[in-house]
Amino acid sequence: MSSTAAQVRRLQSVAPRVAQAALERARLTVVPRPRRTRAPRVPFVAFVSVILLAGVVGLLLFNTSMQQASFRATALQGQATDLGAQQEALEMDIQSLREPQRLARLAQEMGMVIPSTPAGILDLTTGRITGDPVPASGDDALPLHMPGPKKPAQLRRPADVKVAAGSRTDRTDRTVRTDRTPQRTERTPKRNGDGAPTGDR
Amino acid sequence: MQIGFLLIAIVLSVFAGRLVQLQAIDPGSYAQMAAREGRATVVLPATRGEILDRNGEALAETVDGRMIIADPAVTKKVAPELATMLARRLGVDYFQTLERLRVEGSRFQYVARQVPASKAQKVVADVRKKFTDDDGRPFAGLSTERDPLRIYPNDDVAANLLGFLGTPRDDGSAQALAGLETSFNSWLSGKDGEATYEVGAGNQIPLGDKTVTPAVDGRDLRLTIDRDLQFYTQRILQQTVTRAAGQSGIAVVMDSRTGQLLALADYPTYDASDPYRYDEGLYKSSALTDVYEPGSVEKVLTISSLVDAGLAFKEQKFRVPGKLYRQDRPIGDYWDHGTLRLTLAGILAKSSNVGTVLAADQFRRGALRRYLTAFGLGQRTDIGLGGETNGIVPKGAAWTSQVGDRIAFGQSLSVNAVQMAAAVNTIANGGVRIAPSLVQGAATTDKGQQVGSDQAATTRVISADAARETMLMMERVLDPEEGVAPGAAVPGYRVAGKTGTAQRVGEDGTYDGSTTVSFAGFAPADDPRFTIYVVVHSPRAGSGGGSVAGPAFSKLMSYTLRRYGVPPTGGKPNQTPVEW
Repeated sequence: MSSTAAQVRRLQSVAPRVAQAALERARLTVVPRPRRTRAPRVPFVAFVSVILLAGVVGLLLFNTSMQQASFRATALQGQATDLGAQQEALEMDIQSLREPQRLARLAQEMGMVIPSTPAGILDLTTGRITGDPVPASGDDALPLHMPGPKKPAQLRRPADVKVAAGSRTDRTDRTVRTDRTPQRTERTPKRNGDGAPTGDR
Repeated sequence: MQIGFLLIAIVLSVFAGRLVQLQAIDPGSYAQMAAREGRATVVLPATRGEILDRNGEALAETVDGRMIIADPAVTKKVAPELATMLARRLGVDYFQTLERLRVEGSRFQYVARQVPASKAQKVVADVRKKFTDDDGRPFAGLSTERDPLRIYPNDDVAANLLGFLGTPRDDGSAQALAGLETSFNSWLSGKDGEATYEVGAGNQIPLGDKTVTPAVDGRDLRLTIDRDLQFYTQRILQQTVTRAAGQSGIAVVMDSRTGQLLALADYPTYDASDPYRYDEGLYKSSALTDVYEPGSVEKVLTISSLVDAGLAFKEQKFRVPGKLYRQDRPIGDYWDHGTLRLTLAGILAKSSNVGTVLAADQFRRGALRRYLTAFGLGQRTDIGLGGETNGIVPKGAAWTSQVGDRIAFGQSLSVNAVQMAAAVNTIANGGVRIAPSLVQGAATTDKGQQVGSDQAATTRVISADAARETMLMMERVLDPEEGVAPGAAVPGYRVAGKTGTAQRVGEDGTYDGSTTVSFAGFAPADDPRFTIYVVVHSPRAGSGGGSVAGPAFSKLMSYTLRRYGVPPTGGKPNQTPVEW
């Protein structure tokens, strides 16, 4: 207990000194204003303006070029479509030129036929020919076209009909080539009904 | 001052009211209206897959096409000149076009559909230039829309298999009307995509909103068919049928080792690029849809089964009477003869019904049916075309002893041509039946069935020895002295085959006296590469399988062997005696 009292007393004696020091430390002085280095204002403003301007102009140019590119893209797209269509048309032409039917027809016009016998086979290593090759003959010619479609009966054209003199027309005996309309067909004699050629290929 | 505040308050409350109207009441429709403004949605069309032959030649392909649309309100004034020009350039009917260009009160009339794009564009551009209005602006009466065009560059070649597409539906989707186009419609079609983007003055706005659902193009369908061989087969078949004055015909060319169909021809057929000129009944492959009684070609199956079952061998001796009196009516041969002493090979070479029935008597009940089913008769081949028939192999009580006798030589049962070709090919392939295929690789039909050469199932039906022995007997069929079909021979090659001349069921459902003549065979006999089957229905009376179908077989086999560079094996044909 007595020691505590002693401590308090010592504190009391110390306190004024601390306060003094604090006081001394707290006595503020104005920081001396450093001498302002005046940065030159013009370049800075110019710099910022240039950046700003460059940004705006750049953006504008960028946008413009994007637009340009977009126009160009549309145009090129159109061109690509056109060219694609053209290519397809050309490919179609090739297809029709390569059609086996056409080739067979051209070949047959030149007197060529597909042989109906097997070919001889030449073995390249031994130089020996095997098989029993026979030259092709004209009998091997193929029918090049399918027979045309069958027409419905009422559309069939009867064969050329001889109309007797004075029967309907005043002209003398002549050949009437009846057309395909049913009305005209009815006028033709009965024997030309079913068995008549159809006029198909 | 206060009046001023009041005015401001009034104005602000008007704004607030409008805001509430826009934001609270139905904001969605306004948002949509805003979105529609300056926004374009285009369909990204999926391209329909091509149908290709085994070498990649296109059998059916899609090209970019356009429909040409007229606005009669504009075209009325220049209708005659315009119609003349369109008729000349597009080949459309002048009068019909003229009428359409003049329709009262309409602003949309088709002028032409499915015109190749480049042609349509050229024509429309020329029209725009030629018929400028008074101010010199281009003509606005014609426009084009996308209208894809399916072309079949080979006309009738493989038309029976391909089918065709009709005029597209109003929504632009394809309308498959027959054949593979129908059965693989979804495989070929793909799925249309869609792109939505903001536009300004007809150009897409860069950095604008854009959503794209890409189109999924249809897949190609590659067939096992060889286009040139198919062409040749169709022509030979046509020649054969017309020369024999037949009603129709079928020819099947099959790769013996893989079961792939190299050609599948039907006659008569139609032109896939111009189908509407032909009868609707032709839009199919009768090789699959039509059944008939195979006749003596089936004896090959009976005899090979006998050999496999160990009940017969090629030199086995039979006494073959001229007529065989069984329960209902006598069984005879196509030629009159007294009692012959034939070997089993002779029975096949001379195609004796009586002999075959005698040989088949050794079967226990049900055994032949089991073999025939294993050969694939009575079940669809499922090669990917719709409308296939099962064929009929009688079973249970329907298989009476008379029926059994007739089945042994190929009557009283019915097959389709592909089934029969696959059955004969079993012998060519050393006794293992390989399922025929039309599609190379694998593909899924609209019914969800996986088909294709990858799926081709193999099943052993008879032993390799039995197959070989049957082949040796089949060689005797082509023997110039002893056989019935010397005309089917291919010079330089060993060929095994069998003729068939079956009584045919006519349209009234009874045997009407007409016949089905056929020839099935394979070559080279000792190392088979190709199996060919030719059928002609209802030829001129007196025609036989050997005289009609045999020469066609010979031509087709020669062509096929030459085309695929198959050398002769160099062996000598089998000489098993036919008599004893």
